[in-house]
Amino acid sequence: MPLLETRDLTRHFGGLAAVNHVDLTVEKGEIVGLIGPNGAGKTTCFNLLSGFLRPTAGSIAFDGEDITGRRPHQIAARGLVRTFQLTTLFQEMTALQNVLLGLHLHSGTGLRQLLFSRRDFPPDEVARGREALEFTGLAAHADQLTKNLPHGHQRVLGIAMALAARPRLLLLDEPVTGMNLDESGRVMDLVKTIRGHGTTILLVEHNMKAVMGTCERIVVLNFGQKLSEGTPSEVSTSRDVIQAYLGTGVNHA
Amino acid sequence: MRRRAGALGVLSVLIVLALLVPRFGGDYYVHIFALVFTNVILAASLRPSLTCGQLNIGHSAFMSIGAYASALLAKNLAVPFELSLLGGAVLATLVGVVIGYPSLRLRGVYFAMVTVAFVEVIRLIAQLWVSLTRGMSGLSGIPKPNLLGMTLTTKAGQYYLGLALMLIVLLILWKLEHSRLGLIWKSIGMADNLAQSLGVDIARHKLLAFMLGCFFAGIAGAFYAHFIRFLFPPEFGFLMATNILVYNYVGGRGHFAGAIVGAIFLSLLSEPFRGSPYETIFFSIAMLLTILFLPGGLITLPEKLAGLRRWRAAAAPTPSPAA
Repeated sequence: MPLLETRDLTRHFGGLAAVNHVDLTVEKGEIVGLIGPNGAGKTTCFNLLSGFLRPTAGSIAFDGEDITGRRPHQIAARGLVRTFQLTTLFQEMTALQNVLLGLHLHSGTGLRQLLFSRRDFPPDEVARGREALEFTGLAAHADQLTKNLPHGHQRVLGIAMALAARPRLLLLDEPVTGMNLDESGRVMDLVKTIRGHGTTILLVEHNMKAVMGTCERIVVLNFGQKLSEGTPSEVSTSRDVIQAYLGTGVNHA
Repeated sequence: MRRRAGALGVLSVLIVLALLVPRFGGDYYVHIFALVFTNVILAASLRPSLTCGQLNIGHSAFMSIGAYASALLAKNLAVPFELSLLGGAVLATLVGVVIGYPSLRLRGVYFAMVTVAFVEVIRLIAQLWVSLTRGMSGLSGIPKPNLLGMTLTTKAGQYYLGLALMLIVLLILWKLEHSRLGLIWKSIGMADNLAQSLGVDIARHKLLAFMLGCFFAGIAGAFYAHFIRFLFPPEFGFLMATNILVYNYVGGRGHFAGAIVGAIFLSLLSEPFRGSPYETIFFSIAMLLTILFLPGGLITLPEKLAGLRRWRAAAAPTPSPAA
């Protein structure tokens, strides 16, 4: 049974079919890339999978359970956690506080802890938060305000928070956009390490080098429809894909 | 940690001063400061909702519900103060759920409009349900507060009761704001989509924050009712609701102490204008000055002054090398 399976997933915005009859499957333990030209429907697809948008038609199954139409926090609770494009973070909090919020799903804070504990947070939660920062290489920045972190660190912090929520499937929305070669290499290594720990990954990314070097399988969207699917080498040599990205060739007489 | 110790020091000094007021000030000051306590409770109890990013311009409605409920319970049914206080707070919370549940899905100005409408509805009910509230004649003859069967007959005794209530409410709200719950409120205010993606049920938490505010506003109202012993519907109108909001902004929204500082500062400063048209003008000017010169509120003033002094110190000892 695939970890994630969509059938006929469709979303209309007025007359526009942003996502149109997409069948997408992700097997346990895979790193799958979702690519396509701008406006192909990748982000809409993510918003559908994570519950921020309701599909117009079609269904989404996660680990055998139908999650179509569930609300975002319910989907996160089942182990399907997403990150956001750019730096959607809690900017006025410290890095550690950001990660502590990621632990939200797995914290058993009762009223007694809220009102009568001398500490603001249970020590084991703080320890787990620091662990997540350690794992992503941000331990030294735990107590800095997020808005003061460099761009690359902010992007990684987004991943650390999602990891704290203990996802079984992690959706990464453009994790290395705007990074230099060195930084993006490190993030892609991190992605592989995360998979090594048993988390399946579906990512959207425009940086082809990163996608081709990391993903085992790639799904190409164009105008909301699935255009092609296969290994990186299959996809990168597919005529349909090349046409979608570069347009049709001009026939010289 | 050091900042927390400093804040505790300031707090203890303030509490000692507050304890001394009935001893050295006359009844006038006792009266004024007891009203300050209700304003502090009101301002602080609005913080959870404000932190969630919900602009509530109707907080005085819940004070009004708490005040009338507690007063009527005590007056008509001879319910002891401890229970009527709780009854007022619980009724305010229940009404809060009824109004909050459908409207908390609204954002920003739309939510604010619902709360504005609500405060007027509650005021009109208090005004027009004459058989229960005596309407515009005002509800008088409210019993003095009693504790464990003992009636607090002196103004000083009632003042200490108000002080104790305020401190308990502040302690609870402070503790909650610095716990996981407070972090969640902050996260909803900053980026609610990210909070959701981490598994936070934002509708539930917004409602919870709103209910907390209603409960403590109800407490403030109940104390007010048994202290002033006269309730008049227009007192709890739109003006008081905006004042509660202004306490928060002028004091500063970035820190728990902001609501307290704002409520104390503005209630004392506006005292000469209370009930006159100048009150509105005073609060408007305070709000405008804050927006223009201290966007972070009064609690950022020491920081600003320190910055200014550093800047002066850096600028002063640089006479031109030629001189």
